[in-house]
Amino acid sequence: MFAVILLPNFRLQAALRFREEMRALPVALMDEQTPKAGLLEISEAAALAGVMPGQTSPQALARCAKLTILARSLEQERSAQAALLEIAGTLSPEIEATADGFCTVNLRGSRVNDWQALCASVVEALASLRLRAQMGIGPNPDLAFLAARHARPVLVVQSPTAFLADLALHELDPAPELLAVLRDWGIHNLAQLTSLPRGDLMDRLGPEAGRLWERAAGQTERPLRLVRVAEEFCEAFDFEHEIDTVEPLLFLLRRFLDQLALRLGNAYRVAGQMMLTLPLANGSAYVRTFTIPSPTADMDVLFRILHTHLDGLRLDHCATGLRLLIAPTRAERQQFQLFETPLRDPNRFGETLGRLAALVGTENVGVVEMLDTHRPDSIRLCPPRFHELGSVAAPADDSAVGLPLRRYRPPVAAQVRVVRHQPVRLESARVCGTVSAALGPYRASGGWWDSDRWSTEEWDVEMEAGGLYRLARMGHEWRIEGSYDEPLPENRRGAQALVAIPEPGV
Amino acid sequence: MSVSEDTLYPHAYFGDQTEKVAQLRCLLAEKFPAMPPRAGGILRTGLAGVDAAEGGLRCGALTELSAATGAGALFIHSMFRMVSQERCFAALVDAARSFEPDCPAALVRLLVVFCADAMQAVKATDLLLRDGNISLIMLDLQAVPLRQLQRIPANTWHRLQRLAEQTTAAVVVLTPQPMVEAAQVRITAGEGWTLAAQRRWQRDLIAAARWRVFVRRNAVHHTPAWESERESAIA
Repeated sequence: MFAVILLPNFRLQAALRFREEMRALPVALMDEQTPKAGLLEISEAAALAGVMPGQTSPQALARCAKLTILARSLEQERSAQAALLEIAGTLSPEIEATADGFCTVNLRGSRVNDWQALCASVVEALASLRLRAQMGIGPNPDLAFLAARHARPVLVVQSPTAFLADLALHELDPAPELLAVLRDWGIHNLAQLTSLPRGDLMDRLGPEAGRLWERAAGQTERPLRLVRVAEEFCEAFDFEHEIDTVEPLLFLLRRFLDQLALRLGNAYRVAGQMMLTLPLANGSAYVRTFTIPSPTADMDVLFRILHTHLDGLRLDHCATGLRLLIAPTRAERQQFQLFETPLRDPNRFGETLGRLAALVGTENVGVVEMLDTHRPDSIRLCPPRFHELGSVAAPADDSAVGLPLRRYRPPVAAQVRVVRHQPVRLESARVCGTVSAALGPYRASGGWWDSDRWSTEEWDVEMEAGGLYRLARMGHEWRIEGSYDEPLPENRRGAQALVAIPEPGV
Repeated sequence: MSVSEDTLYPHAYFGDQTEKVAQLRCLLAEKFPAMPPRAGGILRTGLAGVDAAEGGLRCGALTELSAATGAGALFIHSMFRMVSQERCFAALVDAARSFEPDCPAALVRLLVVFCADAMQAVKATDLLLRDGNISLIMLDLQAVPLRQLQRIPANTWHRLQRLAEQTTAAVVVLTPQPMVEAAQVRITAGEGWTLAAQRRWQRDLIAAARWRVFVRRNAVHHTPAWESERESAIA
């Protein structure tokens, strides 16, 4: 047996998929690329109002003043077609994407007892994806297609002869000339056509009439052009007006994720990455990729990630559309070790990182990565990957010497008096006084092979009034790089009263 | 003019009121039942003085480390090593962008947040506490100017303490002087390092610091805030 799943008015359904409120209204679809071609598809309410496909928009509006004309969206059609094929793929691996909005499935070999129940579940699955489907089952692809056309919403052809007998001739879409000749002969349905001898019909009307006769008799067999269902989970929407607030985006994203989570579930996949694209009014697009720390199909988790990001997003231009692409992956299954303490909720942690990045800036949150250079203060913060860390403890490093440095970012400019190659007096906005002891110099240099050449001479100094600091000389300029230990605030407060001290690192 | 002892210490007045206050507290506790704090564990610090006194840092509680900047930095670097050994995760919220890493192996489990000021750092700590994934959160305010720290409202610390109670994270606020009223434990350290410290192993410096631990007595006992000093001076 073969099954055909048909989405009637496919292009209009795709356009109305996320506009549920318009489904009961008179709506027509038009291709903006070819406006002279007239209306492509119309809704039932529009048909009742007298609007017909092919009419120009003024003609249609003259018939129905309340008619809403939507632009065709190829992105939305692609998403709907992908959803259709994914559902079909749950029935059999042998699928043919016959045309936009319908596909044929080879069910030979599948042991199904209740075809009606199977079809009903498929129609229901598509309904949950906001797609109205009709499904027909027949012994060959053509019969299954005819059954799908007449299904309300499911039709299983048990007796092909009886089913075909009542069908009108034009159901087989014959060539207009051939149809006219047959009508002149008084042949209006398939039963009348198959009562004629096939050989004589071919002699008079040619081989095309022979093929038509075979189809009318339900005897055609054709191999399916099989396709592999691409795991592309994408939803898109084009706004009619420019959007300058985040609420419409969140509203649609919620619906997108609702659909995509269902589709991922049907394919037994989870989201590994999300790519959000916002086409902007100036023609450019804002693109952001989110890696899901712990791949999931949980809609709430995915939505929170997007919500957190959009909350802090500021764009120079308004959004004109929205596109969300999910890269699927297999669900992780891992056995944690007995003494391991992994992240309790990696996705929540990812969300927190997003909030922190919004608060302090992306470059100010992360795991320290030391750059491959000896240049002082060569670090950067990278996104943490805690969930990927193994359970092996890092070896304890007890080789550190001296007090850790607290670095001043930026360094504080200073004037240093040097006697016999040693600093003896320090003057700066932060620290002033006599140097009681000094260690150094510690010299380092690098980058001599290119223009980014650097050279520094560092000193650790102890002040007579207390406090340990690191001084650095670069050329003829001295600066305080940081402190190892500073006097307690009472002393520092006294110093503040004397000189205006800038806040460190701000 | 002499001031009577009753004026300075009005025991009789407060004695009458104590019972009413206790009744009022019971009434409020019945009317607004608070979520019971979780039984937190202990996170070892590797500082002999602190571990001997308390076993380590209390999880689900706010700890204040009030010391000179040198001791604060020693504490932070000591905790990195412990986090690496315990295979848990830590976060350092640095309000003055002063953190200088020295042990790359211990940094893979450390989330660093550089903030522009103290209030931003408090907000970042709040976010991390609500996250619930991090076992140790260190809010480093030691290098922040005092004037900026004094602008932090006192209720901020109570809010952080309430948040910490709902988690199993140990929260340490590093300050230049005692200012976190809501801290359950306060740690202080000796001060006055000389340049000779720069020639000693860091582990020896950690051991040489005089870590002193003060524990806040449970509020329901209605006794003075700081119960006792559990001092462990390591030579």
